[in-house]
Order: sequence, then C-alpha cells, then structure tokens
Amino acid sequence: MRSSVKRPPTPDAEEEEQDREPTLQEIINIKLVESGEKERLKELLRERLVECGWKDEMKTLCRAFARKRGRNNVTVDDLVHVITPKGRASIPDSVKAELLQRIRSFLASTAL
Amino acid sequence: MAAPNEDNLSSHSQLSSQFFGELLDSIIVDVASECHRIARLGLDRSLDDEEEELRLSAQARARVADPSSSGETTSKYVLDIFGQTHPPVANEIFDCMNCGRSIMAGRFAPHLEKCMGKGRKARLKATRSSTAAQNRYSRGNPLSNHSPSSNSNSMNRLSNGTSHVAGYEYSNGTIEEP
Repeated sequence: MRSSVKRPPTPDAEEEEQDREPTLQEIINIKLVESGEKERLKELLRERLVECGWKDEMKTLCRAFARKRGRNNVTVDDLVHVITPKGRASIPDSVKAELLQRIRSFLASTAL
Repeated sequence: MAAPNEDNLSSHSQLSSQFFGELLDSIIVDVASECHRIARLGLDRSLDDEEEELRLSAQARARVADPSSSGETTSKYVLDIFGQTHPPVANEIFDCMNCGRSIMAGRFAPHLEKCMGKGRKARLKATRSSTAAQNRYSRGNPLSNHSPSSNSNSMNRLSNGTSHVAGYEYSNGTIEEP
C-alpha cells in the first residue's frame, strides 16, 4: 500500500526562496490586477475599439476567413492568427495614446 | 536627478507599451473567441446561408435522382419536406354517406363505385329498385313481366344486353304507341 502512493515532498522549503526575483513587470501586473485598474483599462480599450470600428473590422476579417475555410473548420487559434497582425497595426493613434497615458499615470502613482 | 527620471520615463514607456500590448492581445483573443462562436453556431445568417442551401438542395436532388437506394423497400418511408411519412394507402376511416358503412379512405373510390352504381353488381341492386319505380310510372307497363335481370342488363351493358336493348326498346315503342 505504502509503496503505491508516491507523492512528491511538499515544497515547503522551495516556496520560500524563488529561483528569481519577480520582475518589475510582474510586480506591476499584480498591482494593476489587485487595484482593479487592469480591468478598467481593458474595458476602456474595448469601448474605444468598438467606437472607432476596429472591432467590426476584425469581425469582418473573421467572417471572411470562416466563409473561405468553411464555418465548421475554424478554430479560435486560426482566428487569433488572422486578426493579430492587422489588429495590432490598425489601432488608431488617439486610442493608443489615451491608453498609454493612463498606464503611465498608474505607474507613476504606484510610486516605483 | 534628471538621469534617473529619464530612465524611469523610458522604462515607464516601455512598460506601458508592454502592458498595452498585453491588453490588446487579450481583447483580440476575446474578439476571436466571439467570432469563432458565431461561426460554429451558425449565428451569422449570411455566412453560409446560400452555400448551405445550395449544398443541401444538391444533396436532395442527388438522393431523388438516385433510384437504387430508395427503390422498393424504402418507398414507403420516403419523407416529405416536413419530415412526415405517409403510408401508401390512406388509412383514415370514416362513414360512407351513401350506405353508411365504415370505409377506409384509401378504399373509398372503389367502394363508391360499387355503392353508387358504376359497377356491374352495383347496377344490379340499384336498378332493381329503379326499374321497379319505372315500371310503376309507365302505367302498368307489361314489360314488368320481363325479368329484372334482363331489364337491368339491357339498361346497363350494351355488351350484355344489346339484343335485349333492341328488343326492349322496340317493344316499348310498340306498346306505347296508341
């Protein structure tokens, strides 16, 4: 009985010291999430992208792709790859600037 | 202290861009997921509407044109456009308005033939009463001596009673003349 149960030892000792320090990015990420700012930023970005028609453009790309490939042969991964290059490139400058401004002010406010 | 500020600024802007990129990627995945759902559930009516219809109608046409598969055995169970099957003989039962019997719908026409007098045997029993009526109306027609069978034959079937008809008519005419 005992030999069949093989559990790895509880990593008590390993939890206390990590291999590396959390990166600055990770720290800020945690702060963003915990403060709720990340969610607010995401909603803001989503809203702006809908307003400027970016989302509709992406949906059109997806529709065309699905029509070509066959509606049942499409995966989420396919669609992500279809949208990403065009999506990243077609963000309006004003939207990008607004979001970057907000992120920067958050960074400043967290007193790095 | 300008240098550290500049460093901070550049790292800030770098970090900002990174976070922005992260947010954007997350939104892209959401949009892709939404479009994937719409595509797979067929919610976008214009997506393959016409293509699906064309494909389905081509399939149906092939199935109809192909006599081998849907030949003898499955002809009873062929579906109509509403997906219903119909038995080869209509099996609803109702009452005949002439004789009052319970008749199956698919056998109603032949029944009516017999019942209302198109058939040979029907004529027999029908004109038994109708010639009796005729005999009454024609003022003691001596032709009533004729057997009912010969009367009915002459009335109905030329093939059977042609001679009878001739005889009948002539005798009728003869007697009627004053």
